[in-house]
Amino acid sequence: MKQNAPVAITGTGCLSASGLSLEENMNSLFSGIRNVDVPTGFSSTHTSKYPVFEIKGNIPGLTDDDRKKYSRTSQLGLAAAREALKNAGLNAENLSGLRVGVCMGTTVGCAMNDEPFYRDFRDRLKPDMFPIKKYLNSNPSSAISCEYSLKGPCQTLVNACASGTDAIGVGTSWIRAGICDIVIAGGTDELSRISYNGFISLMITSERACMPFDKNRKGLNLGEGAAVLILEGEDSLKKRKKDPKAFVLGYGTACDGYHLTAPHPDGKGLRRALKEVFADSGKTPEDIGFINAHGTSTPDNDRTESKILRELLPGIPFLSTKGYTGHTLGAAGAIEAAYTVACLEQGRIPANAGFSETDPELCVTPVTENTEILKKTALSESLAFGGQNSVLILSTEGI
Amino acid sequence: MAVNKEELKEIIIKDLFLEDITPAEIEDDAPLFGEGLGLDSLDAVELVVIIQKHYKIEIKDMDEGRVAFNSINSLADFIGEKQAS
Amino acid sequence: MEAAVNGIGVVGGFGRGTADLLKYLKSGTVPAPSNSEFYPVYAADISYLDTVIPKRALRRIDHFSQLALSGIYLAIEDAGLESIDKPSTGLIICSGYGSAKTTFSFLDSIFDDGDACASPTLFSNSVHNAAAGHISIILGLEGPSSTISQFDMSVPSALLTALQWLEEDRVDHIMFGAVDEYCDVMGYSYQRYYGMNENTKMAPLVPGQQSAVPGEGAVFFLLSKKESAKGYGSVSSVKAGSLFDKGIVFPQDSFYILNADGHKKTDRNYHDIIPHGSLASCYTPLYGSMPVGTAFDMAVGALSFKEKTLFSSPESVGCLNESRVLKEKCINRYENISCVKVSRQDELSIITLSSR
Repeated sequence: MKQNAPVAITGTGCLSASGLSLEENMNSLFSGIRNVDVPTGFSSTHTSKYPVFEIKGNIPGLTDDDRKKYSRTSQLGLAAAREALKNAGLNAENLSGLRVGVCMGTTVGCAMNDEPFYRDFRDRLKPDMFPIKKYLNSNPSSAISCEYSLKGPCQTLVNACASGTDAIGVGTSWIRAGICDIVIAGGTDELSRISYNGFISLMITSERACMPFDKNRKGLNLGEGAAVLILEGEDSLKKRKKDPKAFVLGYGTACDGYHLTAPHPDGKGLRRALKEVFADSGKTPEDIGFINAHGTSTPDNDRTESKILRELLPGIPFLSTKGYTGHTLGAAGAIEAAYTVACLEQGRIPANAGFSETDPELCVTPVTENTEILKKTALSESLAFGGQNSVLILSTEGI
Repeated sequence: MAVNKEELKEIIIKDLFLEDITPAEIEDDAPLFGEGLGLDSLDAVELVVIIQKHYKIEIKDMDEGRVAFNSINSLADFIGEKQAS
Repeated sequence: MEAAVNGIGVVGGFGRGTADLLKYLKSGTVPAPSNSEFYPVYAADISYLDTVIPKRALRRIDHFSQLALSGIYLAIEDAGLESIDKPSTGLIICSGYGSAKTTFSFLDSIFDDGDACASPTLFSNSVHNAAAGHISIILGLEGPSSTISQFDMSVPSALLTALQWLEEDRVDHIMFGAVDEYCDVMGYSYQRYYGMNENTKMAPLVPGQQSAVPGEGAVFFLLSKKESAKGYGSVSSVKAGSLFDKGIVFPQDSFYILNADGHKKTDRNYHDIIPHGSLASCYTPLYGSMPVGTAFDMAVGALSFKEKTLFSSPESVGCLNESRVLKEKCINRYENISCVKVSRQDELSIITLSSR
């Protein structure tokens, strides 16, 4: 594919178990804090306790009305959008004259899986329709669009664990094509008992805190959270006299066509996605200061990803931030993109939490301490169910 | 008590959606994965659930499962041993 | 960017393939919905797949993904493609509700036998992009793939991405599909919201009448940059946003296909939005009401170019205040056909097909 124009990022917002704002998240990451514990939001009958990264306490900036009306996933998305818009100096008033699109990734946010409702339905107890109504209100993109009375297009991507990355890629396209002045792009997912059971059934969930890229890694921990980037076109930037904080330089995506739940052992789709993102951004591996890897801590994911890091991106410092957030599924790519922007701004990356011993099979070692980064461009990777592979190149060059 | 292999085969056919074959077509000592019956990693984790559901035996680790899932014979032996202990 | 339509695959309550759809369009008749426990439904038959894919390859693939596969195989057949240009083909699937049946089947596995017996096969099929995963595996695809779920706006939203992928040279061809599935919870919801439906004849645009019958099915379009030799025309513009956005301009001199689907609250919005004095039609009684219904309308639009015919709206369709609803077959002299959908959340989409 051809090279395309950079797209400005003017705001960021993020919530996870590491903090309720992007700033809080970064402070936790650079302090090595890991808030991983047994779930408190729900119970299960598994004989082992599988720990999770849960957001404790109230989600900031929400009204009682928001809490009643929207699913937790949409509430998280809305909170991240509020932080990002504020960070970009935008509010409902100055958005009203602009073509503002919303593009969010999710997994849980589009699934109707209310257990009490369905249990009653099965038992012929004619359950009340409130959970259905809430589900129909809670499309993560529509919820944000509706709260700010936006008029642009909405798109909720459900590409499993790559959704957040893809949403930023699609938002970037909308700005490039002139479809929107501003795009609110990101991802959001709540911890759900249903996906908790699902991931445990796949036997890729760890009974201990996850250890991305470590020799003794046994699987992932689920997490929850949301992140949003505000993407903005040239005209709007000029009108607002606003300087970007970073840029999306490129987006690449390709499928493996191999297996529903396992990555292609040779990373077929990831190779193509990388080729595409370098073409789209006009950058080469030499320009990349660090890689925010997917690094879920499952044996398969980390094996495939390491092979590609070793072969195509050798010697570039890399880390997985899943050791601080858990795997936040549809939010992961967005949270990691927000972290990548913050790391580029600070010129450093945190240690890969949970790692202690290099796996001789992988032959790669993530950064083990907070590390200074001089280059202004970085790569963020997502690999997903269904054989989805998506990557972004983000940069603070020229800022 | 010896495990009824025919019953085990029927359960596997039903729960792994292998309805294009009959129990008689599964040989007791043929590999279940790869070249043999052609099962894959997703079937392996489903098999863990099947064993739990029908025989109340919990397999916590795939290393344990891998040996048991070799063939119908090894699986029947594994279930028999667990039930006896 | 315009995207030429090179092949269409449809499966729904009317049958399978463009031939079955055309049969009803040409005769002006409508299929009868079938009965389910909770509500009538335009159910889709996927038995066709057994003739093109070995049973073993389908064993773990759920009903939703099989609807999608049916659509894609029928589209490939319709286009007369002998092989797929794998490196330069992308896949986009959109759905209002995703694989609803499997989502609930997974809950069944938990309720029946406990958390430890949750089925990993059902879980992985319930993930929204499972259909895209299955298709990419079976067809051996290598390019980008994406799944979009935006309720009633799924089709226009996903089409924006399709056009953009072509524009950015990510791919030369796109397999674009829209899929929705009926499940008992949906039937129950219809019953709770609208009461039992004794009269199963859909009568969209009849004021005050709630006549929606849920449908299910799949539509696939093979889109590409190159001009269509099939005569289906091309997707020339996609607009989506709020019903109240004055910035969304309706094309003039277009024939309109309205996705009015017998929901009385949304149907009344169609009266005033299209330019007064237009000619319009509505075909939802052929396939039922579903979030991705507008994709079925697009299929009818493309067939109208190919057959050089504007098809009559079924007899039960009502009328518009300021425009005329087509009630007889006629020669198509329009260069543009716009498919319009208004959602329950007051969103609007206009997808325009052009004969070129």
